[in-house]
Amino acid sequence: MPDAQVTATVSAERQLDNLLRQCVQCGLCLPHCATWLATGNEVQSPRGRLLLLGEMLPSTEAVSVPGVFLQAFDQCIGCRACETACPSGVPFSLLEYGQQRAVGLLTDRADGLPRPAVPGSVLRRLDRTGFLGFMSGVAGLARGLLAALAGRTWRHRLAGSPAGAGQLVRLLGSMPTSPRTDGELLRMLDGLSGGKSGGKSGGELQGEGRSLQPGPGPRIAFFRGCANAALLPGTSRRLHDLLVEAGCRIEEPVTQDCCGALAAHTGRPGRAADLRGRNREAFSGALAAGAVIVAEAAGCSHELGQYGEDFQEKVIDATVLLAGLDLPPAGRVPLRVVYHDPCHARHGQGIVTEPRQLLQAIPGLELVEPVEAEVCCGSGGAWGLRYPEISADLGRRKAANLIAAGADLVVTSNPGCLGQIADALLLDAPDLPILPLTDLIWYAVQKGM
Amino acid sequence: MSGIAPDQESGSSPAFLAELQEILGVRGFHADEAIRLVYSRDASHLTGGRPLAVALPADEAQLRRVIRLCRKAEVPVVCRGTGTGLSGGAVPGPDAVVVGTSRLTDLDPVDSYGGRVRVQPGVLNDGVTRHAAGHGLHFAPDPSSQAASSIGGNIAENAGGPHCLRHGVTLQHLLHLEWLDADGRLHRTGRGLAVERGLDLLSLLCGSEGTLGLVTAADLRLVADPADVSTLLAFFPDLEDAARAVVGLLGEGLAPVAVEMVDQAVLAAVEEAFGFGFPTDVEAAMIVEFVGRPQETVEDGDRAAALLAGHGASDVRRAADEAERLELWKCRKKAFGAVGRLTPSYVTMDVVVPLGELPGLVREIQVIKAGHGVDVITAFHAGDGNLHPGVCYDDRDPDQTRRAHAAADDIIRATLARGGSITGEHGVGIEKLHALPWQIDGETARLQRGIKDIFDPREILNPGKLHPGAEATFRPVEPLPAETVFQWANLTVTAPADTPLAGIQEAALAKGFWIPVGAVFHSSGCGLGSAGTVGDLVAHLVAGPSFCGTGTARQFLLELWAETGAGRLFHAGAPVFKNVAGYDLVHMLCGSGRVWAQPLAATFQLRPVPESVGCWRFPLADRKRREPDLDRLARYLATRDDGLGGPVMIVDASTENPEPEVVVLLPGRSRPWDLDQAGKDMEAILGGSPPASHLELDFGRAGEFLDSGLIPDWALSSPDWTFLARLPGEDGDRKMWPANIDRWIWQSAPRLVWSPDPAGSSAGWHADRFCKDGHILPACAPAPGVPLDFLRDMKALFDPSGALETPPWLEDENA
Repeated sequence: MPDAQVTATVSAERQLDNLLRQCVQCGLCLPHCATWLATGNEVQSPRGRLLLLGEMLPSTEAVSVPGVFLQAFDQCIGCRACETACPSGVPFSLLEYGQQRAVGLLTDRADGLPRPAVPGSVLRRLDRTGFLGFMSGVAGLARGLLAALAGRTWRHRLAGSPAGAGQLVRLLGSMPTSPRTDGELLRMLDGLSGGKSGGKSGGELQGEGRSLQPGPGPRIAFFRGCANAALLPGTSRRLHDLLVEAGCRIEEPVTQDCCGALAAHTGRPGRAADLRGRNREAFSGALAAGAVIVAEAAGCSHELGQYGEDFQEKVIDATVLLAGLDLPPAGRVPLRVVYHDPCHARHGQGIVTEPRQLLQAIPGLELVEPVEAEVCCGSGGAWGLRYPEISADLGRRKAANLIAAGADLVVTSNPGCLGQIADALLLDAPDLPILPLTDLIWYAVQKGM
Repeated sequence: MSGIAPDQESGSSPAFLAELQEILGVRGFHADEAIRLVYSRDASHLTGGRPLAVALPADEAQLRRVIRLCRKAEVPVVCRGTGTGLSGGAVPGPDAVVVGTSRLTDLDPVDSYGGRVRVQPGVLNDGVTRHAAGHGLHFAPDPSSQAASSIGGNIAENAGGPHCLRHGVTLQHLLHLEWLDADGRLHRTGRGLAVERGLDLLSLLCGSEGTLGLVTAADLRLVADPADVSTLLAFFPDLEDAARAVVGLLGEGLAPVAVEMVDQAVLAAVEEAFGFGFPTDVEAAMIVEFVGRPQETVEDGDRAAALLAGHGASDVRRAADEAERLELWKCRKKAFGAVGRLTPSYVTMDVVVPLGELPGLVREIQVIKAGHGVDVITAFHAGDGNLHPGVCYDDRDPDQTRRAHAAADDIIRATLARGGSITGEHGVGIEKLHALPWQIDGETARLQRGIKDIFDPREILNPGKLHPGAEATFRPVEPLPAETVFQWANLTVTAPADTPLAGIQEAALAKGFWIPVGAVFHSSGCGLGSAGTVGDLVAHLVAGPSFCGTGTARQFLLELWAETGAGRLFHAGAPVFKNVAGYDLVHMLCGSGRVWAQPLAATFQLRPVPESVGCWRFPLADRKRREPDLDRLARYLATRDDGLGGPVMIVDASTENPEPEVVVLLPGRSRPWDLDQAGKDMEAILGGSPPASHLELDFGRAGEFLDSGLIPDWALSSPDWTFLARLPGEDGDRKMWPANIDRWIWQSAPRLVWSPDPAGSSAGWHADRFCKDGHILPACAPAPGVPLDFLRDMKALFDPSGALETPPWLEDENA
């Protein structure tokens, strides 16, 4: 190893050691950690993982880091709830990423890491819009078929099915969906709130045409996001319409690609870096012209924020942007609504008040809070496909908490959470619908017209 | 730490591990290197060894089988909640099995009527409060770890927290325990009543640090949410001034629910972590909280603010709303963790001194700190006299490490010299084993060790904790006090056992304080009457129908001198408000009669007296039909308990009484607006009939009112009294008292019905005949499920020759 490299490793180690020492082992992170809640095993808790890391640290060059050590890290969803909870400010994700770099070489030697429930060939393509669209079509067909064959309780009947089939069901079940057409959305929410759409169905908001006429509002570069573009196209369009309505000047760089979060999740740093580079280039023009980048999925806005400090200050999550805009006055929506915080928003970006402000601004809407609002739903992007059992347990736990909040409707702002919770609700409360937050805001504005 | 430790050679057979795995299954049995490392530590930073295996049982049956297997194989069992303990209580030895309770998380529905809930040990402290939220109730003990610590752990350590100043520590909130002994036998302790006489195993088990048994289920008492809360934040340029302000505040008779403090260093760390915008150039920040009805908390807050300013506070702020209040508390609750930003390592201490000694100890710590050249940062449960000095050091520097530990020991010695205790809420564990002999005497240690040998003769349960080794030299026994001494600054009174209680209460009353067990009024011979002594109160727990009391002797007894049957003097407890140094012999013996030991002297906590008592007499025609109204009245009165004195309802609907009536006594601060409102509320509850009479009496004169014949004589003069309490879990019987008793006294704290007619008790009720013909009767036999063999062995330990009285149920079956 060249000298410079040794020095770099040593200083990185010292840095890690100092960060580790910040942990006073108080254990306050435990109840915020989804994997600890699901298993009761402290190895799968932030404090446990840090203890293991401390043990591994001096032995980056040792021959045997036990597989169970690495698995403990692999099992971390990366929701960062522990960072929000930690009174000592331990930067857990930083430590973890550092450690992954340090022991990345050893991963091959580690035994006992689970094989993903879904073939790698599928996992690798999950960040491609075309493939996702295809999968979504398959999922829709399969769901329809199962419902026809097994009735309304098909999901229930398949919940206890053997491993292979169960994982397939999970994959199908957790593909997020939202109403494709505005009419579908209007009918659904009208039915739920027991009223008729007061607005002109198919009115101004339902602009199919992408208005590029400059408005007086901020200049926005629209980040599509692969999952949103493929699976929630109606929602993406409605966000676009809302922004236009608020007077934003929107552009949508055509060469943009997936943000890279999924590639990072599935252990493909090379592809992630490649995607970063591509997006940096795609948005460089818009940024130079003073635009801010908006992403509807919290996962995307979080990942884009990780590109670097220069990028971070130019990226804004859709909920934060909407909360700060002058939207047209919303109409009355007499519903009890519970909001699920995506971890990428709440813990990754500290977004807690903005989505709630948006909801509370809707007349007649009652916002209720669930218990364990800060706990991950167990989706974790591709994580749920690697640990389907824990993921399913966490989904059920999240669903139970949302159901107990007594709402008529669940809303959230990340496609992964949307799919995961929808799947769990199918089992325990098939009548409780879940929608992207954007759709509900769009509906409220529509009702105000 | 150096690299990954090689797998230790375990002494146990593979067959043992295989059997353990068979019991627990894949999710419950773990023996890999990762889990053995993680479960070798807790929040104390102490290290023991890597355990053999970790068991995470899914239910009680699995837990029981694990204990039995370990007992058979003689493998030590270390029980662990969430590992938030600070004294190393959950740190295992290398040959142990760690049994984690994290999967035992069942919660029963809240019994909102009885104010209780039954939970499994793995339920988190915060989880109980969240579970009870919809019922207007909460679980009062609130250690800083409450978001993460488990009920099982809270019980094992007898956890405290800021609000224990008003509500008492975990023990005061335990009604019933189910637990496994070292043989895996399941026992039940307590009927789940607010008051239960007899040797109190709840007091013994609570705080026993997993060395006597493993809790499998607990019935917890829940406390009503306050109507309004007012929280003050005060900054002091001088730390000692702040400590004096605490003494002054409580000495003035104010009754805050919490008085918390942090010093400058902690304030700075919290400020850096959360950026609240607090000044960091002051030496102390103090939180003072009052609860009550809105106007009340404002008045109390104003008075406290003026007092604090008078004691040198430079700035006193009041939380404007709930959000701001929670922010203030976050500052205190997250203090411990935030200290991680200041120092690589620190000794977390938990000393507690008599309240009046707080300023002196604060001063002495500054001297010790300078003497050893170390930094000490401190967070205080100031109202309890409990402080957590953290002695900072860098564990990579041996000299610093040595100096830090020497300074910590000096702080402990200074605490003990002031009559304090080495631990108020963290426990002895491993960490304070060396210091325990400095605090307790040899006879007390012998009794504690004897109890351990009875419960766990093979030392399977958490060995190496809480009991110092055989080589330890204990301090000589604290001299027996010869006369009554009031320590006004400490808010305590110490008196020999033969001191008349009435004399103590009168003297305290003159200063605005009392022992709030309600004994002051009883001049006419019901219960202990005026002849009752301090020793009687210790032995019998309650003094009789307790007018306006707020609890039992068990709640306010701090320190006890007693003599075993063999005539050996021992001293247990300390004149401090919280103490978990060793088994709690004080509260275990309180109320046990004179069967195990003879009380010789005791120290009680003094609390402020109510300023006045509102008295109402309502006519009560057609009592049977009015039963639901009386029920509602009792529930209403329970919400009016302000912690100064408990409301009382006296019902006489007997045929001898020509004018059936209900008398209500409502103690509290003298506030005409409040009493007016209470009168109206009660009138509405009782169907709109106005009271026959109403007056507000000075608290000291209320006894005269009761004795003067304004209420029927029987209420105070009957020589026979029984107390009745509703048993838990009897859903069919939702009423507060047996319907066929027509003369009774209901008291809010402790929640009991007193009746001269024990025959009236019915299903779902427990009756304890308290006195007959003016004599106090010994407690009845314990509830089914209490291990009588343990009680008999303890009798032999305390009274080997049978010199003390022995109730028939305790006599040896085989003798």
